[in-house]
Amino acid sequence: MLAIVGRPESWNLPLFLHVVGATVVTGATAAAFVCAVSEPRFPWLRPILARTLLLVTFPAWILMRAGGAWEDSRSPIGNDSTWLAIGYIVGDLGFVLLIVACIFAAVAVRRPQRAWPPRVVAILTGVYFVALLVAMFAMTGKPGS
Amino acid sequence: MDRYQWLLVFHVAGAFLVIGGATYGGILNAAAIRRERPSEVVALYRLVRFAVPAISAGMLLTIVFGLWLVGDEQLIKWSDTWVILALVGWVLANALGGAGGRREKQTRLLAERLAAEGDAPSAELRARMRDPLTLALSWGSGVIVLAILALMIWKPGS
Repeated sequence: MLAIVGRPESWNLPLFLHVVGATVVTGATAAAFVCAVSEPRFPWLRPILARTLLLVTFPAWILMRAGGAWEDSRSPIGNDSTWLAIGYIVGDLGFVLLIVACIFAAVAVRRPQRAWPPRVVAILTGVYFVALLVAMFAMTGKPGS
Repeated sequence: MDRYQWLLVFHVAGAFLVIGGATYGGILNAAAIRRERPSEVVALYRLVRFAVPAISAGMLLTIVFGLWLVGDEQLIKWSDTWVILALVGWVLANALGGAGGRREKQTRLLAERLAAEGDAPSAELRARMRDPLTLALSWGSGVIVLAILALMIWKPGS
């Protein structure tokens, strides 16, 4: 608790950006997942899926990751801890998953006759959504610290 | 994990549900505004409805576990400025979000009726989806939630 209440002022902005990025990336990933899953019934969701990933999920991921790295550079809390490692793994794994998801979402827009690209996006965003929830639990509860 | 950490997990999970749910709803609402056919608007509004239980559960978690944390933690006082402002903001965000949601429900019902009556683009539906008051209520609620998050981090007056 002291770490929260007695936190130096200079840690606040990076923490705020990190939390806003994390919450927005979670909601936007959920929106992309639902669009990808619903696409067989509503094929016109394909451009919405691509735009969501490119214009919301990815920028929010950058905010989350940059805010987290900035915070970590200022704060000695969590060095070599499991919960911080989980945060970094989910963050960095997310970059790869989101890049691949963006590519397949673009393929889905450019090749409307192909059914499989949105399925791949659904799997990638579903996996990443669960990973984000695990990271949220680890970074908030800090188990093992 | 001690009790404080468990309380914080549920409190932050609530914040994730609220802001994540609002982001989800905002994305699909913005997509609905750009559609012309009522049946497409209906489909998007039906997808948006998944956000309602998430946001409601999140608001409940934030207030229940937030109050528990304040009562449990000696370093936080009920009279702290940030605690009072956060409680006022929580009530305001609920009121604005609820009012905006009720107006959006009327828009969805109009879209459902138009979809059943031939699914032709409608100027009335377009105007309802771009209604400045509805948008101000919904987006205003989101801005207040972000302001509450800022209060939680900066804790002015603590």
